[in-house]
Amino acid sequence: MSSFEPKIIGFLCNWCSYEGADSCGRARKEYPSNFVVIRVMCSGRIDPQFILEAFKDGADGVMILGCHPGDCHYKEGNFNALRRYTLLKKMLKQFGIEEDRVKLDWVSASEGDKFVRVVSEMVEKVRVMGPLMLIQKKQLKNHREHRGNL
Amino acid sequence: MAERIGVFVCECGPNIKEAIDLDTVVTFAQGLKNVVMVKSFNLLCSEAGKKLIEENITKNNLTRVVIAACSPREHEHTFKKVLSNAGLNPYLLQLVNIREQCAWVIKNKTLATEKAKAMIQAAVERVIHHEPLESKDLECQMDALVVGAGIAGISAALTLAQKNRKVYLVEKSPVIGGKVALYEKVFPTLECASCVLDPVLDKVLHNEQIELLTLSEIQEVLGFFGNFIVKVKKNARCVDTKTCIGCGACFEVCPAKVKNEYNEGLDERRAIYIPYAGALPNVAVIDREHCLHFQTEGCNACQNTCPFSSINYEENDEVQELRVGAIVLATGFDVFDPKRAPRYGYGKIDNVYTSLEFERLLNSNGPTGGKILLKNGQPPKKIALIHCVGSRTREYNEYCSGICCMYSLKFAHMVNEQLPDSSISEFYSDFCLPGKESQGFFNNLLDKNGIEFVRVKDLDSIKFSEKKGKILIQYKTINPPSSTLLKGGKRGLQDKNIPETLKSDPFDMVVLSVAIEAAKDAQDLARIFDIPQGKDGFFTEEHTELSPASTIKEGIFIAGCAQGPKDVQSTVTQGQAAAGNILSRLIHGEKLVLEAITATVDEDLCSGCKICIGLCPYKAITYNSPESPHTPLWKRGAEGDFEGDKGGFSDKKENLATINEVLCRGCGICAAACPSGAIKAKHFTDKQIFAEIEGLLNTNYAKTSKMSLRGTG
Amino acid sequence: MSKPKIALYWCASCGGCEESVVDLAEDILQVAEAVDIVFWPVALDFKYEDIEKMADGEITATLINGAIRLDNQEHAAKLLRKKSRLIIAHGSCAHLGGVVGLANFYERRDILNRAYKEVPTVKNPQGILPEIKTKESGRELNLSGFHKTVKTLDQVIEVDYYLPGCPPTPELIKNAILAILNDELPPKGSVLAEKKALCNTCSRRESKPDKVRIKEFKRLYEIQWDATRCFLDQGIICFGPATRGGCEERCIKANMPCRGCFGPTDNVRDQGAKFLSALASIIDSKDEKELEKIADSIPDPAGLFYRYSLASSILRGKIGTV
Repeated sequence: MSSFEPKIIGFLCNWCSYEGADSCGRARKEYPSNFVVIRVMCSGRIDPQFILEAFKDGADGVMILGCHPGDCHYKEGNFNALRRYTLLKKMLKQFGIEEDRVKLDWVSASEGDKFVRVVSEMVEKVRVMGPLMLIQKKQLKNHREHRGNL
Repeated sequence: MAERIGVFVCECGPNIKEAIDLDTVVTFAQGLKNVVMVKSFNLLCSEAGKKLIEENITKNNLTRVVIAACSPREHEHTFKKVLSNAGLNPYLLQLVNIREQCAWVIKNKTLATEKAKAMIQAAVERVIHHEPLESKDLECQMDALVVGAGIAGISAALTLAQKNRKVYLVEKSPVIGGKVALYEKVFPTLECASCVLDPVLDKVLHNEQIELLTLSEIQEVLGFFGNFIVKVKKNARCVDTKTCIGCGACFEVCPAKVKNEYNEGLDERRAIYIPYAGALPNVAVIDREHCLHFQTEGCNACQNTCPFSSINYEENDEVQELRVGAIVLATGFDVFDPKRAPRYGYGKIDNVYTSLEFERLLNSNGPTGGKILLKNGQPPKKIALIHCVGSRTREYNEYCSGICCMYSLKFAHMVNEQLPDSSISEFYSDFCLPGKESQGFFNNLLDKNGIEFVRVKDLDSIKFSEKKGKILIQYKTINPPSSTLLKGGKRGLQDKNIPETLKSDPFDMVVLSVAIEAAKDAQDLARIFDIPQGKDGFFTEEHTELSPASTIKEGIFIAGCAQGPKDVQSTVTQGQAAAGNILSRLIHGEKLVLEAITATVDEDLCSGCKICIGLCPYKAITYNSPESPHTPLWKRGAEGDFEGDKGGFSDKKENLATINEVLCRGCGICAAACPSGAIKAKHFTDKQIFAEIEGLLNTNYAKTSKMSLRGTG
Repeated sequence: MSKPKIALYWCASCGGCEESVVDLAEDILQVAEAVDIVFWPVALDFKYEDIEKMADGEITATLINGAIRLDNQEHAAKLLRKKSRLIIAHGSCAHLGGVVGLANFYERRDILNRAYKEVPTVKNPQGILPEIKTKESGRELNLSGFHKTVKTLDQVIEVDYYLPGCPPTPELIKNAILAILNDELPPKGSVLAEKKALCNTCSRRESKPDKVRIKEFKRLYEIQWDATRCFLDQGIICFGPATRGGCEERCIKANMPCRGCFGPTDNVRDQGAKFLSALASIIDSKDEKELEKIADSIPDPAGLFYRYSLASSILRGKIGTV
C-alpha cells in the first residue's frame, strides 16, 4: 500500500493561532502540506457542525487552535471551544471517529514553533491511524436541496 | 444572476512565484465555477497591482473578488480599499493566504501548488456566499465622565477639558485631591505636596468645562462607547457651595464630635466640618449621620452662626442622569489593614502606625500640625519603618505595592530632617527602586547619620510586643557574605544556608509600610461599570503592555491605583493617557465607525431560549422581556443614536435576543451556540464556512491524496 | 369535479403516525368528506395494483410515514412519488430518520445477529438469518432486502413537504391537509410547523433566568423537580432550544423534557451537533478535568443528541456503517 497522506482541516482563531501560523511562515518553518486552514475570528465561533462537515467531506482529522486560556482576544471564547470540544470528542467516539482525529490546542501568535510541532504531530498521528472510512461523498451530497436554508 | 468572480494571484516578487507553479494555479482557477477572469501579477499590493485589480473589477463587471496573496492580517485592509475604490463592497473579497501557508512553508513545489489550488477553490466557493456589509457609524456624545477626583482623575479631567468638551468629575468625598492631598511631601523630589497639587486643584475648580460633583456616587451605567447614560446620586452637602467661604465659624459651635477619617481617626472633627485645613473645595459639609439637627432635631447652632446663611438643612439628595461618550475610572485605592496580621500588634500596641497615619502626623495640616509625636506628646528617639506589610506575601497580597520602598525612604528623609537626633531603622528584605531617581534618593540617605538598614531574613518572622512602654521588635537578621545576597528568595532570604541571627530591639515608634490594595468599593464599581477585576481586585486593563489605560469595555478607561499600585508620576501619566485615548477617539463631528463584522439575530427564528445571553463577552446580547429590569436603551430615546432613535438597536419584539451592534465585536461565540441557527456571525456565516470546508476538501488535491486509499479501504 | 385524492403509506415506523391521523377524531370525517382516500394500507383495503394503475400525478398528495430500510419501502415510495403531485414526509422517521434511524449506529450484520440470534426470546439453534430468496417446501419465498442503513424519505425520493413530530399533532395534520385543499402551501421544502424553536411557546419560558449555567446534568428522578421551571435551569437536558416548535409542548406539559422529535429549525444542518454546541456552551466550568467529568455525566451523548435525527444528520450514522 502506498503511503497514506491524511487531510487535516485546522480551524484557527484570527488573533493568536492564525498569527502563529503566519509567524511560522515568516520564519520559513516547514510543516506538512496536508494541513489546511480555515480562519475564524475566535475559536468560540467553531460550531461542532463544521467539524462533522469536515469529516463528512473527507477530512481525516480536524484541529481547533485558539488562544491560550486567559489570552483570548474575546476574553473567554476559547473556553467555549474547550467546552464544546470536550463533549464532542466523547460523542464522536460513538460515531466511530477516534479521539485522536479531533484535537484542540492553544497556539499563541508567537508560537510558530509550537504550531509546527502540533500540526506535524497531528498529521503523523492520523497518518498512522489511516484514512477515516467514510461514506461515498456523492451519496451524501444531494438530499438537501429542498430542505430549509442549508 | 450568476456571480462574476475575478481571481487575482500575487507573485509577491519571487516569494510566491518561485515556490508555487502559478501557471497551473491560474489554469485551475480558470476552470472554477463562476470565475470569469484570472490574472497573476508581480506585486498586487503595489500601486500598479492595486490599479490592475481596480481596472479589472470595472472592466469585467466583477461581483466578487478572490485574491491569492499573503496573510489577510497583512493586506486584507489594502485590498478591501481597492474594492471600495472600484465601487465594490469591500466585504465581497476573499483573501487566500498562499504565501504564509503554502509558498513559505512547503518546500515541495508540487505540494505547495496543490495546496494553493485547494485554498483558491475554497475561497471561490466561499466568496459566492459573501454579503455586502456596511460599517455603520454613530453620532457620539462628546462629554466625558471621570470618576474619582484624586490625582489620576484630575489629570484625566484636565486633559479632557478642552473647548466644547465637558467633563463631569464625580467624587464621593466632599473634597478633591484624593490621597495625595493628605501627604506633606512627595517623593522623589521631596517637594511639598500641596505646592504640587493645589495649583492643579485650582485649575479644576475654575475650569468651566469641568462640572465637579462632590459627595456623589455612581448608581447605574447603561449604554456603550459614545453613548453612556450614567445615573449619579448626589448626596446633600447641606451647605451652599456658592456662598460658603470656609471660614470655619460653624465648626466651633457644633456640639457633635466625630473621629476625623481624613486624619486616619487620629483626632476629631465636628459634624459640620472641612476635612482638613486647605481642603478644596473650601466649603463645609454636614455629616448628617452625626449632626444633632438630623439625629435629635432642634440643634441649629451652625445655621444660627453662619455669617453667610449658607446652611440649608432642607437640601435633599438628588439623582442626576449624565449623558457621556466615555468614562475614566480613577477610583483609587485603600491600604492593607495591619490588624489582619496580628504579629504587628497594630491597634493594640501604642505608637504603631500605618504609613497613611504617619503621613498625617507629618502633615502640617494634620492632627499634630506636622510634628512627629508619640502618644505621650514626646518626640520618638527610635523609629522603625517596616517594609512590605501585606505586600509580597501569598498570605495577603502576592504583588509588590511598588511605592512603599520609596515612601519609606521619604519618611526617613523627613524624620531625619525633623528629628536629626533620632535614629531610624528600615526593616526590609529587598528594595524596589526602579527608575531614574529612586536609587539616588536611597543613596542620599546613606550619607546621613542615624539611619540604618536592617535586612531581615523573612519579613513574616517579624513580631512585635510591648515592653516597658516600648515596642520590642523580634526579627531574624542576616549577615551574609555578599555572594549569597544575590540568592535572595522570594520574600526575604529564605535560603536555609544563609546564616541568620535572631535579634530583638526596642523602638519608640513603628511605621508599617502597608500594601496598596484595591479600593473597598472596587467590586461594586466593577459590577456597575461591567468591567473585570484581576485576582487582587484591581480593575483589569485591556492589555497589560499595549492598552494599560483601557478596559475591555470600549469607552471605559482606567487610571491610577484603581488599575494597580503606582506612584504619582505613573498615576498622572495614566490619567492623561486615558484622557488622550478619549480625545483621539471621540472627535467632534466625526462619527464612530462601528465594526461591520458583527452578529445579528434573525427575529423570525429566535425562540428566546436565552442560551446566547450570558455567552457574550461584551454583554452585547440582551433579552427583551416585557419586564426587563433595565429599560433597554432604545426605549429611552437616547439622543444622537444611529438608526433613528434606537441607540444601536432597532425596534424589537419582546421575548427575543437582541444584539447591540455597537457593543458586538464579531467573535461569533453566540452564533456557534445558537441552537436554532437564529444568530448569524456576519462574514463568518455558517454558509460561508461550510462552503469553505467543502471547497477545501473537494479539490483534486483532496482526492489524489486519499482516493487511492479510500478505494481500497 | 372529483375530490382530491389522498394516499397514506407507512414504511419503517411504529404506527404512531397512523394513530395521529385517527386522532383527528371527528375532524377525520370532515377530511374524508373533502377528499378521496385512495390508499391507506393500515386502515382501508386498497391494493398495490390500484396505485400502479393510476396515472402519474393523479394523487394530489401522499403522506408517507416511516423511514426507509427495506427494498419494498423504497419501491413503494418511488411508486407513490410518481403517482403523486405532492409527497409529504409524515412524522419524524420519514422526516429525519426518527428513532429507527438510531440503527445507523450499528452495522446491518450486528442488527440481524441481534434480532435473529442473540435476543433471549429467540430460539434459532441453526443460526438462520433471513435471506432475500429462500426455498421452502419447493416454493421460492421472497423477502424484501434489508438495506445497510436507514434513510430518511428525502434520501430516497424528492419530498415536497415535511410534517414533523413523533407523531405529528392532529392539528398539524389537519392544517396540512387544509392547506393542500385550499392551495395555501408554503414554498416547497417547508416543514409544516412553527419556524421558531420550542422555547418560543414553552409555558416554562418565563421561569428561565437570563443566564442559564449548568454544573451538573441531572435526570428527572434525581431531583426535586419543579413542574413550572425551565428544565435546563434545573440541570435537566431539554431539547427545546434546538427543536422546531409546533408540538403543543405535549412532553413539557407531561413534565418530560423535549427530545427533539420535530427536528431542527431551518438554519440548522445538524440538530445534534447544534444542540451539543449550545449545551456545552452553558456548562459552568473552565477546567478541563471538570469538563470531562461533566461530559461523562451524559452516558450516551450520541443517542441523546440524535434521538430522532441521526439518519438526516451530517454523518448519518456510525463511520463504516453508512
